[in-house]
Amino acid sequence: MAYQPKPPDGWLKTNLKYNKHKGSWAWILHRITGLGLTAYIYVHIYALTTLTQGEQAFDNEMKLFTTPVFKVLEWLLFSLVLYHAFNGVRIVLVDWADGAKYHKKLLTVVYGLGVVLFIGMGVLMFREPIANMFASLR
Amino acid sequence: MYKHSGSRGSGAPGWVLQRITGILLVVVVIGHYFVMHSDPASGHTYAAVLARMHHPFWKMFDLTFITVGLWHGLNGTWGIFRDYKMKPAVSLTIYGIIILSGIAFWVLGVNTILSF
Repeated sequence: MAYQPKPPDGWLKTNLKYNKHKGSWAWILHRITGLGLTAYIYVHIYALTTLTQGEQAFDNEMKLFTTPVFKVLEWLLFSLVLYHAFNGVRIVLVDWADGAKYHKKLLTVVYGLGVVLFIGMGVLMFREPIANMFASLR
Repeated sequence: MYKHSGSRGSGAPGWVLQRITGILLVVVVIGHYFVMHSDPASGHTYAAVLARMHHPFWKMFDLTFITVGLWHGLNGTWGIFRDYKMKPAVSLTIYGIIILSGIAFWVLGVNTILSF
């Protein structure tokens, strides 16, 4: 089969021109978060190889990873996990159950559950700074 | 040989496995986050890792986690590329990078786990 010619406006413009409803955005976000998480699992595996270099190497590295900047990044990464996980469940329900009939309602559940757990994780991760903040108000 | 690369077979086994590994990962990754990354005071010293790695359960858990996670991520990545019509050489190069880097990082991760 011959290769189809490029669309006159180019691939990117043609793709951007499509009307996007809720489901299209869910699909796009699922791919972006998926690629992000795959890139991250490489970083995660590589970062933990310091475990083979002994106690000092590992504990030094963890000092960096427990600084506020990395803690915030760690928290933000959880949003990718939550979205990809819950939208993944939505995809399975559409494919293997009656999800196609209520996939837009499911999307509301995906976003709602995601926001709740994201904030919950934030409260857990930053319990000390939050407690300090309220202590100073008293 | 690779004229229709990416279109050999229906891709159905990968599609089913992507869903099965996905369901597993929903539980495992969110669980991992609450166990390992929610308490700022826990689990991230060498001594704590050493203690955990003495249990065969956690070794098996991590080995499964790395294998299933990498496979799901890379099968998904290849699934995205498969949606585009690529020249055979490009397709083969991307597939090669996915397979080789996947194996390399799997070995790296397994090596870390088995070093305990």
